Amino acid sequence: MADPPAYPGTPRWVKAFGIIAIAVVLLFVVRLLTVGGEHARHTPSDASGGHTPPSSVTEGHKPLEGGNR
Amino acid sequence: MTMTPRLRKFALTAHLISSVGWLGAVFVFLDLAVVGLTSQDAQTVRGAYLVMEPAARFVLIPLAFASLLTGLVQSLGTTWGLFRHYWVVFKLLINVFATTVLLMYMQTFRSMAGVAADPSTDLGVVRNASPSLHAVLALLLLLVAAVLGVYKPRGVTRYGWRKQHELRRVLVP
Repeated sequence: MADPPAYPGTPRWVKAFGIIAIAVVLLFVVRLLTVGGEHARHTPSDASGGHTPPSSVTEGHKPLEGGNR
Repeated sequence: MTMTPRLRKFALTAHLISSVGWLGAVFVFLDLAVVGLTSQDAQTVRGAYLVMEPAARFVLIPLAFASLLTGLVQSLGTTWGLFRHYWVVFKLLINVFATTVLLMYMQTFRSMAGVAADPSTDLGVVRNASPSLHAVLALLLLLVAAVLGVYKPRGVTRYGWRKQHELRRVLVP
């Protein structure tokens, strides 16, 4: 029985995609580690704790009624 | 395991609908994110962030899982296989990565909705650039997956190469 022909190798587009994929995953991990905590800033307790909205924001806008969720 | 032509067509249709639906839903999310960032109307801004969480839970997540599941059925039920061709492997990786990030991002959607629901919160705190960034990245990933699925660029993995020759040996002894 004849041996199968040798594997032709990985195509160039796969190598390019692989490099981009690794870069995207690394960026994601770095962002998660560095900026990940930033979302905590937006928690309701933090946002309302001692924070008074400027009148320019509240003026002319009715606050949302309860039950808007 | 190979599916009958009728079943294969049905699975392909289900995969196309869920994947294109997911892509369309992400376009809508990008629009919501831009409205949240740019609208001058306070209620519109708050509404945009309030609607993101339920929309992600009831539309994005089901479509992401439907796309993943139908993709698995499609690849395992046909001669394409799951790990034989590079384009299939890349599509799988994109789908798993995007779904994982989406699931992790649900907490952020909940936080943003909580902030938007509080009428005493400054509009500047409600506005958040993060959803636009995530929507753009998700769109890029899903567009790449769509292009891979249509063009099916050549290239078999080592495993696929071995399987091809095993099959050839069986067919042509």
